[in-house]
Amino acid sequence: MDLFEATAQALVLLAVFDPALWEIIGISFRVSLTAICIAIPPALLAAFLLAHLEFPGRRVLISLFNTLLSLPAVVIGLTVYLMLSRQGPLGDWQLLFTRSAMVIAQIMLAFPILVSMSHAAFQAADQRAWETARTLGIPSPQAFVMVVGEVRFGLLAAVLAGFGRIIAEVGASMMVGGNILHFTRNIPTAIALETSMGNFAQGIALGIVLLIIAFALNLSLQYFQGRGKLSL
Amino acid sequence: MNATTEIRYSEIHKFFNRRHLLNRLSLSLEGGTATLLSGENGAGKTTLLRILSGLEKPSECRVDFTPGEPGSNPQPWSQCRRRLQRQVMYLHQQPYMFDGSVVHNLALALPRTMPRLQRGKKIRQALEWAQLEALKEAAAKTLSGGEKQRVSLARAWLRQSRILLLDEPIANMDRESQVRTVALLRRFKNARAALMISSHNHEVFCQLIDRRLVLDSGKLSPAQAPLLPGNVTPLARDGAPSGNAGNASR
Repeated sequence: MDLFEATAQALVLLAVFDPALWEIIGISFRVSLTAICIAIPPALLAAFLLAHLEFPGRRVLISLFNTLLSLPAVVIGLTVYLMLSRQGPLGDWQLLFTRSAMVIAQIMLAFPILVSMSHAAFQAADQRAWETARTLGIPSPQAFVMVVGEVRFGLLAAVLAGFGRIIAEVGASMMVGGNILHFTRNIPTAIALETSMGNFAQGIALGIVLLIIAFALNLSLQYFQGRGKLSL
Repeated sequence: MNATTEIRYSEIHKFFNRRHLLNRLSLSLEGGTATLLSGENGAGKTTLLRILSGLEKPSECRVDFTPGEPGSNPQPWSQCRRRLQRQVMYLHQQPYMFDGSVVHNLALALPRTMPRLQRGKKIRQALEWAQLEALKEAAAKTLSGGEKQRVSLARAWLRQSRILLLDEPIANMDRESQVRTVALLRRFKNARAALMISSHNHEVFCQLIDRRLVLDSGKLSPAQAPLLPGNVTPLARDGAPSGNAGNASR
């Protein structure tokens, strides 16, 4: 099967809403959206504290999060695998090869991106926003929400970048999810499997979906980063 | 506002960039008085105001919220930082406006628990007080410097702030905005608020201020150069001995 034929078949699969294909897409979104939603609150809080508090080891922590940005997904996958495997410290939870394991791995993947980019957004935010809120007698938690609102475009860019990373990663999901049909098979692991089986049409169809997601995320990122500059 | 409003700071010290930016200063702020703080660029005026308002950590500082009263006891700055932030209002040189309208920005100065009708009434009063009625629906971030300063003073008015520290409040303003800002500050002073204004533009404030202090080499002293005759009266408490303050009063 040549590339054009495979692509034509892939477009047909997408157009007729092939149930197997859309099930895989659904699993991908469910897992990645759950992971990003869980990761956002602690990541934003950590980024805010790193930007606004002076404490020993702060710079080391920032460098650590920046370093973790380039950590390969398979290393995260391996770590989570070892933790969740029967002999691992969390083996009793029996989460290996479940969607929960994939969510845990994707949280670990997204967290450094969220912290690093949100930290940059908070750093770039006007210090006066926090100070003004405090001098207006606004309690710290509410002042934090106000500052988040002021840098919302930068934070949204961080969320989109984090989501972009985890929806497309294959290594960690493969290792801790096991690529089980109807259960833990998501877009990237399905592409890897279909390609290895010579079933290029479904692989390309999923690739097109991934490409469309990536394009939409990048477009949104461009938009929100531009707005972020204006909001300062 | 309370006529006895007063706060006393002592041992204000800030070591920064290998120098004593502020060197064991003492300072009192009294209700119904306006103090002009001057000094060279980089002398530490902004740092001093930020320390006084609880926004910047000093190397050392003690604060007495009830000076002169029996049993009053100066507390370390670190123990009363939040109280300072609540009681002492610091107004930035370029006031910060949050996203939203002028009304939204004013509403932030009111307690969230305040009933809606009362909030509306207070905000209307504040708009009138600062002559901002025409701008009430305008996006606050798009206002001019003078208008932003009036919004920030209206927020202070809503907060019923008794102590206001203003960092270059009329910098980069046209004459009309300067006059309007000073008029609002006078209303604060008449309501027995304590004002401390850092500014290079002394002439604009000459009818308002009661004393001038100069920050130089980490020390506060009463100003030696006359401002305008007859407009400034001495308050010989801070910086230098009272004998010098008499000379500095004019």
